[in-house]
Amino acid sequence: MSDLLELSLSAAASGCIYALVALAYLLMIRPTGIINFAVGEWAMVGAFGGFLLLSKLEWPYPLGMAALLGFMLLVGWATERIAVRPLVERGAPLLAPILALLGMLVVFRESISLGFGPDPHQVPEAVGFEHLKYFTIGATLAVFAAVWLFFETTLWGKSFEAVSLNRRAAALMGIDLSRVTAVSFAGGAAAAGLAGLLVAPNTSAHYLMGVPLAIQGFTALVIGGVGRVEGALLGGMLVAFAEQLTVRYAPLPSGYAQGVPLLLLMLFLLVRPTGLLRPRA
Amino acid sequence: MRTFIIAMAAALFCAAAGAQETIKIGVITDKVGPAKPYSEPTLEGILFGAEEINRAGGVLGRKLELLIEDDQGRPDISATMARKLVDAGAVFILSITLTPATQQQQNVTLEAKTPQMTPMNSGDTLTTQLANPYFWQTGPLGSIQIATLLSHARAKQLKRVALITDNSDLGQLLGKFFRAGLEKSGIEVVAEEVVARGATTAEPQMQKIRAAKPEAMFMAGVLTPENVLILRAYRQMGLKFPIHSSYNLSVPQYMSVAKGLLNGITFVDAYDPDKPEVKKFEADYRKATGKLPYNIHGYGYDGIKMVAEAIRKAGSTDKEKIRAAMQSLSYSGVMGAKGMKYVFPEGKRAGFDPNGMVVRVYEGDKQGRVVHVGQK
Repeated sequence: MSDLLELSLSAAASGCIYALVALAYLLMIRPTGIINFAVGEWAMVGAFGGFLLLSKLEWPYPLGMAALLGFMLLVGWATERIAVRPLVERGAPLLAPILALLGMLVVFRESISLGFGPDPHQVPEAVGFEHLKYFTIGATLAVFAAVWLFFETTLWGKSFEAVSLNRRAAALMGIDLSRVTAVSFAGGAAAAGLAGLLVAPNTSAHYLMGVPLAIQGFTALVIGGVGRVEGALLGGMLVAFAEQLTVRYAPLPSGYAQGVPLLLLMLFLLVRPTGLLRPRA
Repeated sequence: MRTFIIAMAAALFCAAAGAQETIKIGVITDKVGPAKPYSEPTLEGILFGAEEINRAGGVLGRKLELLIEDDQGRPDISATMARKLVDAGAVFILSITLTPATQQQQNVTLEAKTPQMTPMNSGDTLTTQLANPYFWQTGPLGSIQIATLLSHARAKQLKRVALITDNSDLGQLLGKFFRAGLEKSGIEVVAEEVVARGATTAEPQMQKIRAAKPEAMFMAGVLTPENVLILRAYRQMGLKFPIHSSYNLSVPQYMSVAKGLLNGITFVDAYDPDKPEVKKFEADYRKATGKLPYNIHGYGYDGIKMVAEAIRKAGSTDKEKIRAAMQSLSYSGVMGAKGMKYVFPEGKRAGFDPNGMVVRVYEGDKQGRVVHVGQK
């Protein structure tokens, strides 16, 4: 029983990381329809930002965290300006920015690899290691609560909702589509960067950490559902629990158990492509 | 104007003539893929060694010229790179990329009868899957690593152990050799776990290992972040059984990314800091680059030195003569225990002495003393 409790805490903390990456996808997909697979690399940038500010420059954690989130907002905004907006303004099909963002994935990874080298770097935790999981869970819940309130209670949130329902109608109603897109990318980058910062004390910051996070986050998004913020959290938790409980208790070699989340992904895509939580009518 | 053109043409002719004088050595490395953390310091060691050789007058009175290609750790690209280097006139190819990529290059080097060596790959199958008399391997084999670790652990009379690795190609391969070595010694593997690349925790795997109550745990993984996850879970769970690790824990990055997690862990290494050759290498490298090298640099340094020695011994750049010289080489380098020589007995193309590895122990967060040598 104590094993199960210990594992539940570990899975909840991992689930929060996946949920934040899923949230990053969701913030961009809802208003734009663009799947940005570079979110994993944004998480990597967040982890390296943590290394630079907290390990190298030794800034106090709250200050470093705030500076990093501010920087990630800029990264997301700049990515949208460079890789997405020019294509959208020229009327390119939806696939074009998705491919351009795949190119950005390589740009981010190689820039970090050149700047910091191939070796992993240590990132300090906000609290002692024994409390790190609680901090990760708390920070994630706070972010999800804030995003949920943003969508549910603010005019800005409603304009996001309107754009996701019908871009053309939203534009006719006077909503600035470019601004909504830019803010969605900025928010996505901040969520992904936070995931990187939170996971890095465990995994260290390294240049190949992005793609696995992008895959787990995408799986969480598909399972939870693209339509609702809570779906990303639910999906993240389900992926992490499925992953860790299978490794621990399933009568399978742990090498095979790693495929379970991907099986879930395929199952959901086939049987329930809208995910567990459907969008509100 | 006419004089200027004649002078330029003469300069270009001299440069071309000079270029023809070099001996071209191909290097296939991984600059962006998963082998990069190993390939990069190995390449630095090769560059430093080539520079040292050229400063001393080169080989057969000719300078070495390195032709460096990046295969991204991809076997499909790697064979093409080998072909490109053969076509560019490389008389020897050094492969410092992933094991499967090195394997793939052999199809080209066998067909083109071009000598090829990997100074860092440790997969046992590289010299056994294909009968390629033009290929040599000088990195310590996975089977030597486990045999050395077991020889150290044998004194502790182990009966039940756990084995943990990662899902990288090399991690899986080493895991296989570790398991075979353990079973051959009559030691039962009571739990065998894999931590996937990109995992965020190793707690489920370590819980299973804890439940199996092993007397010791062997780590065969080669991915640093995943190994740190294992060590973190081990410490957080308060586990006490000893850990014996593959050479991966010998890279110095652990001292910074796994602070507070390392004390008492033994690891196999091919680098003895007390060896006179190592002391000289470290001093020379530091003087030339301002940086302190570590064991991985030594693999590249020894590799290029052996290539130069084989060409010198062959007395020409004829590939067949170089092949024969390489096969009969006996070379004492930076890597390996004190007194170790790389040799290639007839029919063998893996040159690392089975008794050439050492076992070291972490003392606090520092890589400490040698506690065991070889397999005896």
